[in-house]
Amino acid sequence: MSVPNISAFYFGAISLILIGLYAVLVKKNILKMLIGLSIMETGVNLLLISIGYISGKSAPILSEGIEPNQAVDPIPQALVLTAIVIGVATTAMTLSAAIVLYKHYGTLNVEEIRRLRG
Amino acid sequence: MNGQYASLLIALPLLGAFFVPLIKGLGKKAIKTYVLIITAIQTGIAAWVFQQVYSTGKPIIVMAGGWRPPIGINLYIGHFAALFVLIVAIASFLMAVFNFKAIDVEPIDKYAMLFLLLMLGATGMIATGDIFNLFVFMEITSITAYALTAYNKTGEAAEASLKYMILGGIGSSFFLIGVALIYGATGTLNMAQIAQLAGNIDPTVAQVGLALIVFGLAVEAELFPLNAWAPDAYQAAPHPITAMFSAFVVKAGLYAMARILYLMSSVGTWHNVLKLLVVMATLTVVVAEFSALRQRNVKRMIAYSSISQVGLIALAFALGTQAGVDAGVFQMINHAIIKALLFLGVGYVAVQLGGADIENFHGLGRKMPVTAFGITVGAMAAVGIPLFNIFWSKLRIILATVEAGYTWAAFLVLAASVVEAVYYFRLIHAIWFEGEGERISESIPLVAIVVALVILVVAIGIYPNYLWSVSQKAGSDIFNVAQYIKNVPLMGVGA
Repeated sequence: MSVPNISAFYFGAISLILIGLYAVLVKKNILKMLIGLSIMETGVNLLLISIGYISGKSAPILSEGIEPNQAVDPIPQALVLTAIVIGVATTAMTLSAAIVLYKHYGTLNVEEIRRLRG
Repeated sequence: MNGQYASLLIALPLLGAFFVPLIKGLGKKAIKTYVLIITAIQTGIAAWVFQQVYSTGKPIIVMAGGWRPPIGINLYIGHFAALFVLIVAIASFLMAVFNFKAIDVEPIDKYAMLFLLLMLGATGMIATGDIFNLFVFMEITSITAYALTAYNKTGEAAEASLKYMILGGIGSSFFLIGVALIYGATGTLNMAQIAQLAGNIDPTVAQVGLALIVFGLAVEAELFPLNAWAPDAYQAAPHPITAMFSAFVVKAGLYAMARILYLMSSVGTWHNVLKLLVVMATLTVVVAEFSALRQRNVKRMIAYSSISQVGLIALAFALGTQAGVDAGVFQMINHAIIKALLFLGVGYVAVQLGGADIENFHGLGRKMPVTAFGITVGAMAAVGIPLFNIFWSKLRIILATVEAGYTWAAFLVLAASVVEAVYYFRLIHAIWFEGEGERISESIPLVAIVVALVILVVAIGIYPNYLWSVSQKAGSDIFNVAQYIKNVPLMGVGA
């Protein structure tokens, strides 16, 4: 199996981050902003994984026939697992806040949700 | 006693939070008492750690699971962390007392859990010696902070919380990208080892990584332009939580920023990041002071004032000199005391009189004299009048700023102080010289806390020397990176 050049992963990760950032900054609908946030998180996770990737090495699971020096760096993978869990918690929190917001304001448009200002 | 017991600082609030559901059936009062007890024990442990660190002069290094760093994650409780863990615990304890009066909305058990986790998160951020562990604690802090902001269940609370979440989400992603870049360049996540290897990183990578981390933490540290969430969240959150935000959650973010900044001080392009931070901090001070001037809601006004003071601390840290860091730490301590006092007083008034609008403060001097007195002292101290504690730290920050060659920043900060004086004196005028009112009986424990904090403010204002020497020790803990590296028993791998 041929794996694309490592720079492809970096390119993909950065594009995902920028797409997510664009959605958060530009979109007016809160749900779309939250989706943007998730896309951004995915991009960061991909970036972390790519940093630990070594071309041609296997997954960092200790099994028969795979020596420690034949596996990719396991630390970024552990980091990403943690980051994914945190991301899930944040997404759940934001969505529940969006539900409460919709109950009180009857809209998800950020331009209409402006009781606090100044 | 063995220094490893310091890990109880993390374990106790975590276990305490998990046991809240067990006592849920005993009623509201039992839960609030339980939180009070846990925070009191935490204060005791923190005081022991403080005494231990300051009497031996050596940091306590807690190694998780007995693995030596950088393989294992370590906690580093040096002069700074010992001091601030104590402040976190004391502030939480005082607010646990305030909970009895201020919190009535159900579900109290969830509130208690989040309250303890917020304390845990801030403690962890201050104590940890691992940059990814710092990220995890930061997320614990911010997720509980999001939930607590929305706790009152009003539309405003949900709005403030959502704003906070979106900015916080962007911030934590930026932070993680920065961590990824630094990990990619050094191959380690241990802070001491990062400091050791920082000189070898490609300067451009280090600069971008550091700038991303600073931006990510700027959300927690409430620096302009990423602090739009802060006034809303301060206004909408329950009163004790507002005081906690201001007294230590923002401090944890600032500390993390300062720590990582100085760890990377051997990087060639370091001064560019410092300049960026100086500009951000000065803008924070100026913008927040002018926004505070227009506020009708006193809680929101004090929130803006808190942001401006935080900008002052960030300015002190961004100077890159020993004097600046010391002054910043001193200001952090004073700010924690003042803002705990002010938010406690204002929150108590809002609970008693149904809202924190300025109209409710008319005639407060007759209605609630002790609380009004506390707010007045807090306001005068925040402006920076001599004989009160902030005077000394503001003076030292401005001197350090001029010394470091940023005369324009010192000038802008001083000009902003004049604006601060205007709105605080307006508040004092409203309290003492406008409106009439009947005396309302004030709760004894809260009055005791207010008086104790007032005495502390004045005592530090008259005898600043002891606290200044403590701040100097804590400041050199951040500034003297070589000593930091030496203190952590790194195993010789990968370096």
